[in-house]
Amino acid sequence: MAATPSPPRKRPRLSAKHREWLSGYLFVLPDALGLLIFLGIPMAMSFVIALFRVDGFGGYQFIGLANYRQMLADPVFWQSTWVTLKYAVFLVPLTYVTGLGLALLVQRTNRYNSVVRLMYFAPHMVSLVVVALVWQFMVIDKIGIVSRFLSAIGLSGVSLLGNPDFALFTVVIVSVWFLMGYYMLIFLGGLQDIPKEYYEAARVDGAGPIARFWFITLPLLKPTSFFIILVSTVAATAGAQAFDIIYVMTQGGPSNSTSVLIIYVYQQAFGFGAFGYAAAIASTLVVFLMAFTVVFYAMTRGGRFTYE
Amino acid sequence: MSNGFKGSRGPTRRGIIAAGAAAATVSGFPYINRMAHAQGAPLKFWQFYAPGGSVESQVNWFTQLVADWNASHEKQIELEYVPNTEYMNGTKLATSFASGEGPDIFIISPGDFLRYYNGGVLQDLTPHIDPAVQADYPAEVMASRKVDDKIYAIPMEVDPMAMYYSVKAFDDAGLNENDIPKTWDEFLELGKKLTNGDRFGAMFHTAPGYYQNFTWYPFLWQTGADFQKDGKSAFDSPGTVQALKFWQDAIETGIAPRQMLGGGANDLTANLASGYCAIQNCGVWGISQMRANAPDFEYGVFRLPVPEGGKYVTVGGGWAFAANSRGKDPETAAEFCAWALAAKDEASVQRGVDWVTKAKSNMPPRTSGFEVGGDLFQQGTLGTFANEIATSMRAEPRMPPQVYKIISDAIQAAQLGGQNPQDVASSASKQIDAFLASYRGAPIL
Repeated sequence: MAATPSPPRKRPRLSAKHREWLSGYLFVLPDALGLLIFLGIPMAMSFVIALFRVDGFGGYQFIGLANYRQMLADPVFWQSTWVTLKYAVFLVPLTYVTGLGLALLVQRTNRYNSVVRLMYFAPHMVSLVVVALVWQFMVIDKIGIVSRFLSAIGLSGVSLLGNPDFALFTVVIVSVWFLMGYYMLIFLGGLQDIPKEYYEAARVDGAGPIARFWFITLPLLKPTSFFIILVSTVAATAGAQAFDIIYVMTQGGPSNSTSVLIIYVYQQAFGFGAFGYAAAIASTLVVFLMAFTVVFYAMTRGGRFTYE
Repeated sequence: MSNGFKGSRGPTRRGIIAAGAAAATVSGFPYINRMAHAQGAPLKFWQFYAPGGSVESQVNWFTQLVADWNASHEKQIELEYVPNTEYMNGTKLATSFASGEGPDIFIISPGDFLRYYNGGVLQDLTPHIDPAVQADYPAEVMASRKVDDKIYAIPMEVDPMAMYYSVKAFDDAGLNENDIPKTWDEFLELGKKLTNGDRFGAMFHTAPGYYQNFTWYPFLWQTGADFQKDGKSAFDSPGTVQALKFWQDAIETGIAPRQMLGGGANDLTANLASGYCAIQNCGVWGISQMRANAPDFEYGVFRLPVPEGGKYVTVGGGWAFAANSRGKDPETAAEFCAWALAAKDEASVQRGVDWVTKAKSNMPPRTSGFEVGGDLFQQGTLGTFANEIATSMRAEPRMPPQVYKIISDAIQAAQLGGQNPQDVASSASKQIDAFLASYRGAPIL
C-alpha cells in the first residue's frame, strides 16, 4: 500500500488583524519617512550644527556653546526677540478675535453666507509674496491708496512701512488679513459642533445674545480655541507667513523694527554664511516653542473640557 | 466556488506599495546619471544676466562670450542664470557653497569679497594675467580684489554713483541747470522746492542691505571720515555724525521718501521716470536702464554734493569674475576669467568695452578701455560720468559681514529710526572695535 503523501506545509500567515496593521503602517511609511528625512533629521542636525563655527564654505570647527554665548551677548538677537514677542502679542489675539468674529457673522448656512465665506477666505488663497507686494503698493508713501486716504483725513506724511513706529503694526495687519479666513473656517467647524439645543434652552431661560455667547459659545469653543491659539502663536513666532510678508515688505527694516527672529536667522545663515550661529538661534526658538506648547497644554488641559 | 472575476481582482494594497517603490527607484536614476557624468561636465558659470535675463544686450554679451570660449577651448563652459534677487539675497549661492557644490565661475561684488576669500573658495588668478595687463588696471580698482599682491577677482565694470534729476520736475519748479546743488545744504533746500503732494524732491536708498551701505560711503568719505583706520574703528567721528545726519535730515524734512518703488533707489525707471521723485541717487548703470525702459524721459546727472569744507569723492562699485578654488577645475575656471576680461589681446579689451558701453553703461575697469572706447566716453551722459563724476572715485570697501551689519544698523537707526547720529556712531564704533579685536582674516579695505 503506497504511503499517502503529506499535504504541503502551509507558510504561517499573518492574521487578518496583523495584515491590517502592516498595511496601515506601510501606507503611513512614505509620509513618516518624509517627515523624518526632511524635518526630523534636519532638526536634530540643527542642534548639532549650533555647536560648530561654520564658515559657509564647508568648514566646520567645534566650539561647544560659544554660539549660544554669542547669542546671549548679541544686542540684535535681543532686539529681534523683542520684535518677535511684540508681533506675536499683537497677532495672536487679533487673529483670534477676527476669525471668531467672521465665523459668527457667517455662521448660518445659506447661499449668501457661502459667497461671503469664500470672500473672507480668498486672501488665504493668494501667494504670500503677492499679498506682501500688493499691500506694499497700497501703503507706499504719498501715492499709495492707503497713504492718500490718510492724507485726506489729515494724516499726511505718515509712512506705514518706512517708520519704525508703524512698520511692525502694519505687518501685523497684513498678516491678520491673510490669516483671518483660515481661522474663520476652523472656528466655523467648532461652532457647528455646539448643539443647537443649548442655545434654545438658553433662549427659553431668557439669555440674551451676549450671555449666550459668553456662557455657551466661548466655553464650548475651548478645544478650537486651544488649537487656534497654539497654531497662531507658532505661526507668529516661526511661521512662513511671518517670514514671507516681512521679507518682501521690509527686509526686517526700517531700523530692525520688523526683524523678527526668523528673519535674523535667515540673515545670519544666508547673508553672512554663519550657519552655526543661525542654528543656535533657531534651536533656541524651537526649544522655546516646545516649552510654550507644554506649558500651554498643561494650563488648558489640551483644550479638553473639565468633565473629560 | 468560482469567482466571476478570477484573475482580475484589481490592484491590491501590496501591489500599490510595490508599484510606488518601483516608481521611486526609477525616478532616482536621473540623479545617479548626473553623478556618473559629473566628471565630464562643463564648468558652470553662475550670474544674473544670461541666458534668462531681461536685458537682451547683456544676454547676448554673455552668450557670445561663452560661445567664443567654447569654440576655441576643449573644456566647455555653461552659463547658469540665477535671478538677481535670488543671487544677491537668496539661498542658492550660500547653500551650494556650504554643501561643496558651488559654481565653478561666478561674479562677486567688493562688499562680499572677504566672505569668499576668508572662506577659502577664491582661486588665485594672478598666474593667468600678464603683468602688463595687471598694470592696465588702476590700483584703486584692483585693490579690493587683491590680497598679498595676488588677484582673486577680475572686475568687469566700475560703477560710480551720482545724482540723476528730472528735467521736467526742474522745469515745473522753475529751476534749471544753474540750480544744481554743490553742497549738502543746497541739496536739501533744492529738495524742498521740488517736493509736492505727489512727488518727493530726492531719493536715497532706504532698504537695509549691502547696496544701501555702498551708496552711503561717499558721503562719509566727503567729510574726511572713514569707518576704520590702522585696524581700529574710526567710526565715532564728527564726519560720521555729519554724514548720518545728512541722510536723516533728507527724511525728516520730508524731501526723501522712506519707501521706494520697484527695485529701490537703484531703479531709475520705477522712481525717477515715474515721477515719484525729482532727484535720485543712482549709479552709472542708470543710463542703460533709462535707455531700455524710458528712452523718452529727459534727465540729467550731476556729481554728488559735498558738505561745507568737504572734498568731492564718489564710490565706485562693480561686479567681478571669480573662480571657485574648490570647483571641478579651478585652473581652467581661472584661465577663463583671465581670458574673458584680462587678456592682452584686443578682443579681450574690446569685449570689456562692449560690456560697459553696449550691454550696460559703466566705466571700464582697464585704462586701455578708455582708449579703445574713445568717443564713447566723451559723449552724452557716459561722457559726463567719465569726465566729471568719476574723476575722484574710491572703491567700494570690502569688509566682513559683521562689520557691514554694524554700519547698516547705524545708517538705518539714523536715517529711518530718527536716533541721535552721535549716539548711533558711538555705539557702532564700539561694536566695530569689539569685532576687529578678534578678526583674523584678509585686510579690510
